[in-house]
Amino acid sequence: MMCSSVKRQSTDYIDGRLRASERSRVEAHLRECEECALEIDQLASVRSSLRELAQPVPPAGLRTKLQVQASRERQALLESNWSILQRVWNRWMFRLDQAMRPITLPATGGLLASIILFAGLANMISTTTRGVTYEVPVVYADHTDPNLVPVELRSAVVLTLSLDSTGRIRDYAVQDGSASFVGDPTRLQADNISMPEFPGVLALAQPTNRDISISFIPILFRH
Amino acid sequence: MAQPLLGNSGSLSILAGAQTGVSEEDSRILRGLRAGIESAYEELIDRYEQPVYGMVYRLLGNSSDASDVVQEVFLKVFRGINSFREQSSLRTWIYRIAVNEAHNHRRWFARHCQREVPFPYERDEPTCSVEYAADPGRSPYEQVLDSEHRSLIERALTRINPVFRTAVVLRDIQNLSYEEIAEILQVSIGTVKSRILRGREALRRELTERPDRSLAEAMA
Repeated sequence: MMCSSVKRQSTDYIDGRLRASERSRVEAHLRECEECALEIDQLASVRSSLRELAQPVPPAGLRTKLQVQASRERQALLESNWSILQRVWNRWMFRLDQAMRPITLPATGGLLASIILFAGLANMISTTTRGVTYEVPVVYADHTDPNLVPVELRSAVVLTLSLDSTGRIRDYAVQDGSASFVGDPTRLQADNISMPEFPGVLALAQPTNRDISISFIPILFRH
Repeated sequence: MAQPLLGNSGSLSILAGAQTGVSEEDSRILRGLRAGIESAYEELIDRYEQPVYGMVYRLLGNSSDASDVVQEVFLKVFRGINSFREQSSLRTWIYRIAVNEAHNHRRWFARHCQREVPFPYERDEPTCSVEYAADPGRSPYEQVLDSEHRSLIERALTRINPVFRTAVVLRDIQNLSYEEIAEILQVSIGTVKSRILRGREALRRELTERPDRSLAEAMA
């Protein structure tokens, strides 16, 4: 057997893939040829050294990255397999979940509850003037004759009171159809005009000013 | 007396390589992957993370690059699972993707990064760092010898032709049969044998004809 033939068969020989007869012929040559024997021995040594190499351990983070990757790809696969109806349904469910998610979070829920509470409170202390008309007929006792018939309404006299934050009258104005004047609140008492006490008004939990308008409408009666 | 068809030590690998298509186990995993079952993805990672990483690391010689390539490999496996025609085993298919990805990465690296000049303080740092499973049965002295021996082999492995290195890694480290290697590399069995032989010879020369250089580099 030639050295070149042995060299050609060395891979099969080292890996144990030769038939018994071929193996015997190679081994016979190796017993006679020191050079081939040395080379085969070294090649077998290389092979065993490679086989004994320890397996490198993957970096710690690699598995997590692969799992994340797998999760994404799996989701993409599932979505591509779904019908249009399922996709629309899932999309809406996802949006609903997103919208509801803050409510389920305690911090956000607490914040939302505070907003609702404050909004309710703010409504109660709102300074918005509501147009309330009270038509209270003011008549004297001696005009309470059942034969009295209202025949004419004269122009109204409007008394506008400006209140300060404590509810006291700061100034006032009187206006009828033809003229108006602004009065000095200190003269109210002097003129023997008695006005009720008004409560202080709060806006956003702070004392504030406001105006109150009172209309006086004279009515003419006849028997 | 009739001669046995195969040598004893070679029979197992030949039988393993003789199977064509996917096994029952592979079919089960493939069905799970195609149905989007989470446990199938987990099982695939469990089974192939370490061997694929080990092979790619041996082909590239760098832990960081190997980690990047392994992610690319699994991405291609996940995305290509529906186009896998099951004409080879799942392992062979995954290894083929891994070999191609490692090859592409090496070519890309050679094209883009070889001209980069490292900072001076980086020159003395090792080009790669990787952990190995500790062998509790070895004394510290033996572990040092093992480490030096391993460094010699690994450095020699990085210096040989990548084509031959791939064949040697698949055969001698990953322990694949010739038939599986032929399927992975898409070459004939004769070519596989030739590449393994040339790879082993190149390693033998690196380790015997230039031992001083190898040793000096291993000790550096």
